[in-house]
Amino acid sequence: MMPLRVLVLAVLAGALPVQTGNSRLRGRVPAEALPAVDSIVASAAAAGLPTEPLIEKALEGAAKKVPPDRIVSAVGAGAERLRAAHALAARGGSEPSDGEVEAIAAALARGLDADLAARLAAALPDEPPGPALHAVADMVGHGFHEDSSVSLIVSAAGTGLRGMRLLDAAAAAILELQRGLSHAAAIDAVRHQLPDVPLPPRPTPVSVSHAKRVPT
Amino acid sequence: MSARDERLHQALDGEIDTASLPPEQQRDLRRLLGAAALLSQGPPGSVHHRVMAALRQPRRSPARRLAHWLTAPHALTFAVRPIWSLALAAVLAVVAVFPAHGPGPVLSAEEGIVQFVGRFPSAHSVDVVGSFTDWRRGIVQLRDDDHDGTWDGSVVLPVGHHEYMFVVDGEQWVTDPLAGRYVADGFGRQNALLIVRPAVATAASARR
Repeated sequence: MMPLRVLVLAVLAGALPVQTGNSRLRGRVPAEALPAVDSIVASAAAAGLPTEPLIEKALEGAAKKVPPDRIVSAVGAGAERLRAAHALAARGGSEPSDGEVEAIAAALARGLDADLAARLAAALPDEPPGPALHAVADMVGHGFHEDSSVSLIVSAAGTGLRGMRLLDAAAAAILELQRGLSHAAAIDAVRHQLPDVPLPPRPTPVSVSHAKRVPT
Repeated sequence: MSARDERLHQALDGEIDTASLPPEQQRDLRRLLGAAALLSQGPPGSVHHRVMAALRQPRRSPARRLAHWLTAPHALTFAVRPIWSLALAAVLAVVAVFPAHGPGPVLSAEEGIVQFVGRFPSAHSVDVVGSFTDWRRGIVQLRDDDHDGTWDGSVVLPVGHHEYMFVVDGEQWVTDPLAGRYVADGFGRQNALLIVRPAVATAASARR
């Protein structure tokens, strides 16, 4: 039998994120939406999903003065994406981090097909799928074909590019497109550059000196 | 006047050949000629001489006078009270230690810098509102100091994904047209999507 102290701690640990979310939601999210949002957040927490994106989505809906039912609907859709993202990230057997799950969910929210995401994750078994998915989403967002985009990103990973650097491969293809190449020619051009695609521009000294930390 | 003086006069006037004079008179004649030469030159370096030499010089053009003033050495004399010297030194020290715009915030490996830019010519205020502000206004406000309609601002954000929109004049929600990445907000509009990378990453580490 589980000792009482352990049981209490387990209950508190499970309830803590929900309570944190509740305190942030109360007074900002319409009262009519609160019970349903609370329920979705609690369910996500119980499933081991990150709850921060759900709380943020409810706060966003409230800030945008969206009707309560649409807030609940958007939070529910977010929870579904987090479930799909968690399943995708956990394919290797290890428990993914919240950041990884959130990154994949954000990529899915950009309109990537779940099958394509699964295909990409399978092609890069040693790579966290988040950056690769966003790289493909970047390219698809600029009119590249999904399969060609996946192929380029897998090639980039094959030449040693990892993590956020995969975004640079996509950025290089988009740059070639903006220079006037066709989609196919842009992909060919980047394929020849790999792995030496340019890094993103660094912040200017002026923007760094003026940068302010967002209070938390 | 003696006969001897008479012959000296004649020699000075060129009426007789100086070689016809006896040696002592030739010596006197040379002394007289040297003294006359000295008197005709005037005193070297006298004030009169220098003033007259300057008056005889042609007047320089303004450009030449300026060039001369700039290149000629000048003696400058400052009279400063010690208390003011100390005050000036203190002000310079404060400016050096606390410059108006320092090097900026010190970033950790888990932070990056994002610059927001938007063109809103008729706006009175532009906020950036997003997941990093808990979707509250008034936390990240852009500026248009020169009133040219271009609003901008830089913030330090944690590495990762962030969604945002601009809020113009406190009520108009606008998608950043320059963001490049967008995600449906679930409410019928598009949020801009930021993927913040570590500002301190090097090319080598970024490849990993």
